[in-house]
Amino acid sequence: MLTASDSVDFDALRKDFPIFDSGPQTLHYLDSAATSQKPRCVIDAIDLCYRNQYGPVHRGLYPLAESATEAYEKARQTIENFINAPSPDEIIFTRSATEAINLVASGWARQALEAGDEIWVSQMEHHSNYLPWQRVCRDRGASLKVIPLDSSGQLDLDKADGLFGNRTRLIAITHVSNVLGIVNPVEKITRLASVNSIPVLVDAAQSVGHMPVDVQSLSCDFLVASAHKMCGPGGIGFLYGKKERLTQTEPLLLGGGMVDQVLADTSIWAEIPARFEAGSPNLAGALGFAVAAAYIEEIGRQPIAKREQELAATAFEALSEIDGVTIYGPENSPYRSGILSFNIDGIHPHDIAQIAGEHGVAIRAGHHCCQPLMRHLNTPSTARASFSFYNNKDDIAALVMAVHETKKILGS
Amino acid sequence: MNSVYKTVLLDHFHNPRNKGDLDSMDRVKRGSNPRCGDDIEVGIRAENEILESVRFRGRGCSICLASASIMSECTIGLTMRQARHLVQQMLDWFGDTISEAPSNTTLAALGAVRQHPARKKCVLLAWVALDETLEIK
Repeated sequence: MLTASDSVDFDALRKDFPIFDSGPQTLHYLDSAATSQKPRCVIDAIDLCYRNQYGPVHRGLYPLAESATEAYEKARQTIENFINAPSPDEIIFTRSATEAINLVASGWARQALEAGDEIWVSQMEHHSNYLPWQRVCRDRGASLKVIPLDSSGQLDLDKADGLFGNRTRLIAITHVSNVLGIVNPVEKITRLASVNSIPVLVDAAQSVGHMPVDVQSLSCDFLVASAHKMCGPGGIGFLYGKKERLTQTEPLLLGGGMVDQVLADTSIWAEIPARFEAGSPNLAGALGFAVAAAYIEEIGRQPIAKREQELAATAFEALSEIDGVTIYGPENSPYRSGILSFNIDGIHPHDIAQIAGEHGVAIRAGHHCCQPLMRHLNTPSTARASFSFYNNKDDIAALVMAVHETKKILGS
Repeated sequence: MNSVYKTVLLDHFHNPRNKGDLDSMDRVKRGSNPRCGDDIEVGIRAENEILESVRFRGRGCSICLASASIMSECTIGLTMRQARHLVQQMLDWFGDTISEAPSNTTLAALGAVRQHPARKKCVLLAWVALDETLEIK
């Protein structure tokens, strides 16, 4: 019987990515969790935008401006459909997932928080889903609370006393860990949070391009992601917010396009979503983002998830057979995505990444903007291989070879 | 392939010179880079302004540790003024204000790292810590 992953010809899809044909050395790109490669259709959409479609968005009455505005708003609808949001007005284009979180922290939480309140994050959060909350809590006399992790790195909800209590104003949680690849039980969290009407923000940067993401079934209040981690261009991301939450949110940036009426000493904001998009919008970014979403949707996120899990599981098995290699996070489980962090005894991950790089294998090394998680793992840094559907068995073989080579050069 | 992992560097990584206990040092300074987890201490002992001993301990990547080891070898026996001058030469060399390696064949082994901006700090961590020990009055 054919499974979802088997029915897609992923080797053929790899040919959609020009970068894999661009150099003399085979590129084994295993850093898609940092940023993904771009398919030809996305590159072409950006090229076409600047050649034929480029004009001011929401700012002109001539045909080119009107069609630019229409294309931009159509891109918003594509993202709406991509995450099954109830309305395109609930999609705010931002520069990044980071900016989207900062918008909620500064625009929503700053007003919602009172002294003694709590915001909860987890120990595995990326700094971008940690620092904005740390600051707003400090400024408002609130407490930042951290959901601890168990020994396998998964959320230990039982040890998070008061998580769903009446002091909690927000739970901000990553959907998929950018270090451990763990998929968090967001639906369970939102269900338990709903008892006390606690809003939940989901950082979907590592999930939205890799597995089905539906904001209505997740039942979250906010969800953020960026385009560049899901085959789209850099410099654009989005915030999804429930309409009732967005009406409680002050804009982060003030300026052109976000205001209806400017009076001498007060002003009236424009409608949502324009209110949150001050300045000239990133038209090419939005169009490229929409094409990336459509591209991924056409392949199907179910088969993508399966493919990436299979690649990571194969790599997990191969790496765990090598002496001295420690892999972080739970062993193969349905709660893992295509991200794998590891270390080699006595060898700094920066050395692993550099030697791998010399062999055409692109992996990340460092703390991955997750210093609280590194403290939990009791290591300053890890090496990380992250898989995308365009990777294949050769990439895994190259990774394994690079690990052996690193051990040969630097091992004692 | 222009690997940074040359014989001299690997030798200093596998067989670090002057590494370990700093108890007998006059002055000790710490250099750390939380971004990559490199964390070392450099100690000196001087007699009549001459460096009798330069030692280090700590953890870090191969380049950081090899650089500290090479540094210790290159600075023992120098006057403190000469050592400060050598540190400055290293900073200039890695800051690209001079293109020539300081006239020392062992130091030249670190030259390949200049091609990798992200690793320059690994090389300089020990040297900056040494500079601080030299500055204490």
